[in-house]
Amino acid sequence: MAELTGIYTASHTPVMLNFPDRIPSDLRNEIFGAYEAMGRDFESGKPDALVVLSNDHLHNFFLNNFPALCIGVGEQYESPIEHWLKAKRRIFAGDQAFGAYLLQEALQAEFDPSFSMEMVLDHGALTPLELAGLDPDLPIVPILFNCVQPPMPTMRRCYNFGKFLGRAIRNYKGVERVAILATGGISHDIATPRMGMVNRDFDSRLLELMEAGDHDAVIQYATDFVHTAGNGAEEIRMWMAAMGAADGLPFQRTYYRAVNDWYTGIGIGRFEQSAGASAGGRHAG
Amino acid sequence: MSNWRHMMPTTEAYLLDKVLYELHHKPDDLAAYNQDKTAYLARYKLTPEMAHKIASNDVAALYEAGVNPYLLRAHCIGVRIPEDVSLAALRSLMKEGDDKWLN
Repeated sequence: MAELTGIYTASHTPVMLNFPDRIPSDLRNEIFGAYEAMGRDFESGKPDALVVLSNDHLHNFFLNNFPALCIGVGEQYESPIEHWLKAKRRIFAGDQAFGAYLLQEALQAEFDPSFSMEMVLDHGALTPLELAGLDPDLPIVPILFNCVQPPMPTMRRCYNFGKFLGRAIRNYKGVERVAILATGGISHDIATPRMGMVNRDFDSRLLELMEAGDHDAVIQYATDFVHTAGNGAEEIRMWMAAMGAADGLPFQRTYYRAVNDWYTGIGIGRFEQSAGASAGGRHAG
Repeated sequence: MSNWRHMMPTTEAYLLDKVLYELHHKPDDLAAYNQDKTAYLARYKLTPEMAHKIASNDVAALYEAGVNPYLLRAHCIGVRIPEDVSLAALRSLMKEGDDKWLN
């Protein structure tokens, strides 16, 4: 039975790597520091594997065949796929057996993900891992949600998939300690007239609702108001899944700032084991 | 405003998307495009108007045609349209009320 050592949510944007100088150095250092802090917290849980919830930005998938949900079952994953992304090329180790387990369990649970034995990960998965300074050899299972091309799975569907995922991970016997990183969001517009106009109010309300722990209210708010927060905000589907996987653990934001010149509401958070309940948990070992 | 131009892509958007996708994923396509845009675009089933939107880097027209925003964004970076130029083109389409939630 695997233990979830930590469940994290973090924004991603290629701008962080491609145009870092569009924001003042103090702010940039503060943001990069927040990702590094997440990385330290993540590493303190000593996970053996990482399930990364992200989205493909039309690199592996195109409109000729676009999966709502795709589970990676590769032996390894190259990254990045964007020829224009200013990131060093690397290869993530894949946990193929874990991916295959999650895929088969998902089908048994009446979800119908597609699967991929060869994906090249893009900035969505790469940037937060890179900025958090995570061990590049930590085996990963990428799970990609369609947040980039309507029609897309509903917020509630993503939450319910996350609930399934949390249960399946906890029942897995192949590794002892697993972390989840959900990346994307929060408010941002990609290539629209609103690009660079972050909806700070949406982000702050969403984070408040998540911290209050009323999952139905979060899902309803996300569903009803995501159109005010930009097409990039559709990526909070991964946050919904993380919330489902957390199975009632409280959420806490660890960083938030609306960064218009990076076009994005940069949010980082985690679902935490409560102090006494973490025997053998995040801070143990 | 909505997050999306279309809740289902149109065929025009699909055909434009296909160019933007292949241009930045097939190994030799970007070089071929940069060498001779007209010849490259002739490989696709585009009307002259559609080809012109791409060849002239008309970011606003591509947005209005409903191309996928991630493909459009990657294309802007990939063919090195200056960041402030693509932003200004998009911002020029801002309509009254589009930013009402900012207040």
